[in-house]
Amino acid sequence: MDVVLQMGVSGALMGLVYALIAYGFQLTFATSKSINFGQGELVMLSAFISLTLLNLGLPYWLMVPAGLLCGVLLGLVVERLAVRLALEQKSEGWILMTIILGLFGFSAAENIWGRDDHPFPTPISSDPMHFFGISVTPVELSVAIGVLSVMGLIELFKRKTLWGKAFEAVSADRDAAELMGISAKRTIMLSYGLSGMVAAMAGILVSPITTVGPTMASALILKAFSVAVVAGLDSGFGVVLIGLFLGALESLASFYIGSGWREAPGLILLILALAMKPNGVFGKASIRKV
Amino acid sequence: MKKTLLSMLLLGCAAQVYAADSIKLAITGPFSGGSAPMGASMRDGAKLAIAEINAAGGIAVGGKKLKIEVIERDDEGKNDRGALVAQELASMDDLSGVIGSVNTGVVMAGDKHLQEKGITKIITPAAGSASMTQWADKTDKPGPKDLSIFRFAAHDGIQAAMVVEEAINRKLTKVALLHDSTNYGVSGRDDLLAQIKAQGNKLEVVATEKFNIGDKDMTAQLLKAKTAGAQAILIWGIGPELAAVANGMDKIGLKVPLIGGWTLSMSNYIDNAGKNGNGTLMPQTFIEEPITAKARSFIDGYHKSYKVDRIPSPVSAAQGYDAVYIFAAAVKQAQSTDTRKIKEALEDLKEPVKGVIATWKHPFSKWNPADEQTHEAFRRENAVMGMVKDGRVVFANEADKQRLIKQEK
Repeated sequence: MDVVLQMGVSGALMGLVYALIAYGFQLTFATSKSINFGQGELVMLSAFISLTLLNLGLPYWLMVPAGLLCGVLLGLVVERLAVRLALEQKSEGWILMTIILGLFGFSAAENIWGRDDHPFPTPISSDPMHFFGISVTPVELSVAIGVLSVMGLIELFKRKTLWGKAFEAVSADRDAAELMGISAKRTIMLSYGLSGMVAAMAGILVSPITTVGPTMASALILKAFSVAVVAGLDSGFGVVLIGLFLGALESLASFYIGSGWREAPGLILLILALAMKPNGVFGKASIRKV
Repeated sequence: MKKTLLSMLLLGCAAQVYAADSIKLAITGPFSGGSAPMGASMRDGAKLAIAEINAAGGIAVGGKKLKIEVIERDDEGKNDRGALVAQELASMDDLSGVIGSVNTGVVMAGDKHLQEKGITKIITPAAGSASMTQWADKTDKPGPKDLSIFRFAAHDGIQAAMVVEEAINRKLTKVALLHDSTNYGVSGRDDLLAQIKAQGNKLEVVATEKFNIGDKDMTAQLLKAKTAGAQAILIWGIGPELAAVANGMDKIGLKVPLIGGWTLSMSNYIDNAGKNGNGTLMPQTFIEEPITAKARSFIDGYHKSYKVDRIPSPVSAAQGYDAVYIFAAAVKQAQSTDTRKIKEALEDLKEPVKGVIATWKHPFSKWNPADEQTHEAFRRENAVMGMVKDGRVVFANEADKQRLIKQEK
């Protein structure tokens, strides 16, 4: 029993990282119906920039806001270079453009920081703590706390502030929002900025566990994408649940079926969800008036 | 005027030909990626030896002093890149030899091209048994009669024997085998299993688990080992994933010895595992401790030339260094830069070569496909047990240290 719990908890905590990246997909999809396919590279680039800031001597607790700010800027760059033009022309060009920008980010990282994996120092201890026979490291807990607080803050922002209301209005109906005097362009910029920040947060949180390297996010991103699609592209609450579930499922599968089968559940889940509920398990069925 | 110009041009050409008259030695390996600490240390160790030889005027061949010219190629630890690099080198007419390769898969993918053209290669530090057994006699296919591939590394056969020996000496009975899914990891697992059998089945394997390159979460594999009651983890993999295992062991409170291949001394294992790496045991051919005058001058030379205070992979650096001196001795004996003549000299080196790991007396002999040891330089006594201690690798047994000091005297 202990084993099941241990595997479930360890996996679920990692699953929260998938959830956070999936949330980044949701943020931009809500306003612009576009997704940054280079989100993984954004995670990786922000992690490298944060590590560089640390190495330059910036204290950890100052590096975090600085890293998040870099994430916001990177998100805005993606919006400006890869998304805006395509949206203006009502084309699907953003798909290819965000992929290209991601590849560019990857090569840039390889050339600037090299292909090696670097450890990411953190003041949070990695000595395990024990609860009811299962062990959890404070670093893993910090992932959970960080993910939930960032998502919570953004949700609060969306519900309580005027900018947030604009965000919700554009998500609900872009044309109607524009008629009410809300700038869709600015709201989309905001959503890309937030999405970049979320990516940076994911990078900072997960790096002490995974180490920082150009390929660090490639495995995460596919899972995050599964989580976003399975949960539905408009449910923040859904990605957390599905993230936890997928993480736990993966680690249980690797224990009971075999370590080579780790990736299988996520893919099976994705196929099942797409077959049975194309809008996602927590997605709203959209009614379109013609 | 025209005439002088023409003669100057001709002179220039002649000078060019003369300048190109050197010993071309290629160094290949992963200088980037997860295996880079080994590849780059090997290259830097080799280049240190080359710089020393060139500074002393080069090697006397046929009345001329020739300098060694280095051709570097990064195979990125990828099998397909390795094959491409080997093909390129095999197409060079004036290449005298090749030193390098870290990843067993790269060796398997590339060396056949070199063997086909008869180019002399000294494999170092790749240790996977398959690198040499691929040329040995098999029931369905006889090995080549003539082989231009040599190895200068403590192969996995030796290492696996030491790892099993260590576990038995510690009076352990139940062990778990962990390995990565590459050619290196799989052949390492087979070597371990073979050695457990050869040493009288004193160890019971309670779990055999694998992991992939890039995996960071080893909880599943380790919990299996823990629930099965493993008293030690015997492991075959490379740096970053090994560190994930050490960190995972700490997390789930699995406090048993971690013993495995020499790759546990890589800097990216030691750095990423931090304090969780302390006590890890692995066979080593060189330990970065200045116990002899030769070792001191090598370590100081490396630190100074590359501005570091710790060699990323001391074993690779020392093997790269010694391999160049052995190659140079073969060139001198052959009195030729022809790669085939160098190969013949390597198979029968007359003079002992004083290296930093040992003084090499007749390291290789004529190739015999029924006994791949003929092209292996290392024997059991060339390796010692190393242990990770506070970010460095030290001698695990004082006796080994004393033996090496005595040997040099």
